[in-house]
Amino acid sequence: MSERSVLPGVRGAALHTRAAGRRRPWNRHLLGYALVAPLVLLMVGVIGYPLLNTVLLSLRDQGVVGSSSSFVGLDNYQRVLGDGEFWAAIGRSGVWLAGNLVVQTIIAFVTALLIGGNGRWARGARTWTLFPWVIPTVAVAVIWQWLTNSNYGIVPKVADAVGVHGLGSPFGDTALAMPALILMNSWHWFPLGAVVIYGAMRTIPGEIYEAARVDGASAWRMFWRITFPLLQPVLFALGLVGSLWSFNIVDSIYLVTKGGPVDATTTAPVFIYNKAFNEFRASDAAAVSVVTIVLLAALAFVYIRVARPKEDQ
Amino acid sequence: MTAALRWHRVPRLLGMVALAVLVLGPLYWVTMSSFKDREEILRSTPTLFPQHPTLENFRQLFTATDYPTYLTNSFIIAILSAFFTMLVSFAAAYGLYRLRIPGANKVAGLILVAYMIPGTLLLVPLYQVFATFELVDTRNALVIVNVAFTAPFCTWLLRGFFFAIPRDIDEAAAVDGAGPVRMMLRIVLPLLAPGMSTVAVYTFVFSWTEFVFASQLLVSDDLKTLPIGLSAIMGQYTVNWGLLMAGTVCTIVPAIVPFLFAGRYFVGGLTAGAVR
Repeated sequence: MSERSVLPGVRGAALHTRAAGRRRPWNRHLLGYALVAPLVLLMVGVIGYPLLNTVLLSLRDQGVVGSSSSFVGLDNYQRVLGDGEFWAAIGRSGVWLAGNLVVQTIIAFVTALLIGGNGRWARGARTWTLFPWVIPTVAVAVIWQWLTNSNYGIVPKVADAVGVHGLGSPFGDTALAMPALILMNSWHWFPLGAVVIYGAMRTIPGEIYEAARVDGASAWRMFWRITFPLLQPVLFALGLVGSLWSFNIVDSIYLVTKGGPVDATTTAPVFIYNKAFNEFRASDAAAVSVVTIVLLAALAFVYIRVARPKEDQ
Repeated sequence: MTAALRWHRVPRLLGMVALAVLVLGPLYWVTMSSFKDREEILRSTPTLFPQHPTLENFRQLFTATDYPTYLTNSFIIAILSAFFTMLVSFAAAYGLYRLRIPGANKVAGLILVAYMIPGTLLLVPLYQVFATFELVDTRNALVIVNVAFTAPFCTWLLRGFFFAIPRDIDEAAAVDGAGPVRMMLRIVLPLLAPGMSTVAVYTFVFSWTEFVFASQLLVSDDLKTLPIGLSAIMGQYTVNWGLLMAGTVCTIVPAIVPFLFAGRYFVGGLTAGAVR
């Protein structure tokens, strides 16, 4: 990944062959187009066309996915926009998004600082910190349900030992299910943020810190005055991509609570999943998808306008 | 080393211990549980290490459940997905970042948008598309989905690796009479090994984990993948935690092992890609 891969002696030879490189431009482009074509076809077929199809489907009255249907115009939208359950799901998505963003950013930042050292411990930690992210979501779901099982789980037992008695499984509790899922999902995803922040921190030249240390700045002050501002572009990108990915998570929620208890964890994507495959109302699900995509796009637009680092403009 | 310096290290050390407990603790606990017998796993005073380590849970998992089938399906789908994503993303990245075809910037922009588009919101229409082509309930459908959702990101990931290979190499090779295809396969591809292994591991892990599409696109029992199978075992054998723990351990290991081999490049590649 570095300059080490430069072959020695190549630079000299290159000077004589600039002209030769331009010899067959058409041929080169033909090869280029052929190489890019499979990716473009895949994106059009599996992402572009279905996206368009969602809009068409939302204007029909399909029940079971793939069954026959007829055109009904904006009826589905009228029903969806007037549906309190849909707006409740959007609200829970907001809680889910904010919770994940806050918890993961904090843990990721602390972790990035911890694994940034030069010691043997820090170097090892750079590998195993990523384990929770690498393991399948279904394993994460099983692990945390086992740990918090009200009868046999280690978490209630430890809580009992330190004086908190009668702790049940949080996933079965209407009030605790959402925060518990946010924590579980953060356990699964924080390593990604930690590694990205760690990578960005390494690009900050050490001289800046040296200069600040000479001026007598404390570690706390250096973090807020140097590290944090210089990481703005990365945090901006991470915030955008991370939010979109968090918002769309279905598996973490579905595998543990299926959106329950009593819809307490039914976020918008879970709502769509249930509409399409449990209630068999494909067109309603499509309409909800379209509304959700529009809301997400608007949110992303506002975020980019407000949070974009100034030096990028 | 002075006492003052040591004091300075205490918060960092405590933080590291906390991180280790948070990350490795649950994994340790699940692994230990999988080696405990039925009585010990449910004991009211938990044991930190199994008193009578047993492989009974694993034996039962592989003989009395469909777990081996799920395992095989997951391997087939993950390996095929990784192979095709390597193919597609290498080709695309070569065309975009090396040959720089006209309009490369537009395609690169589209790629960024594509990987932000929520897969789950496309589940319903995609199901329809696959139904039209009679691909529902086939492994191919899942491979296509996995490749389509990983290839844009992986193409973007390869960008950083491509930029690290000097363009002068192309010109030197051209003078030696290497054609464009030969140049791509014999000269650039070998230099891209770290990037390609990052792509392979990323796609393998993505496919290994994928639940939402697998849950709808695969219907037959003999086609189901691990995430589906394990969640079925979770519902079916609610009481048999030992079996479930063994299943979880066997699901985790194939994801962690390739990562241990290619992890170094993986971390480097992800940060290189993300920092840009």
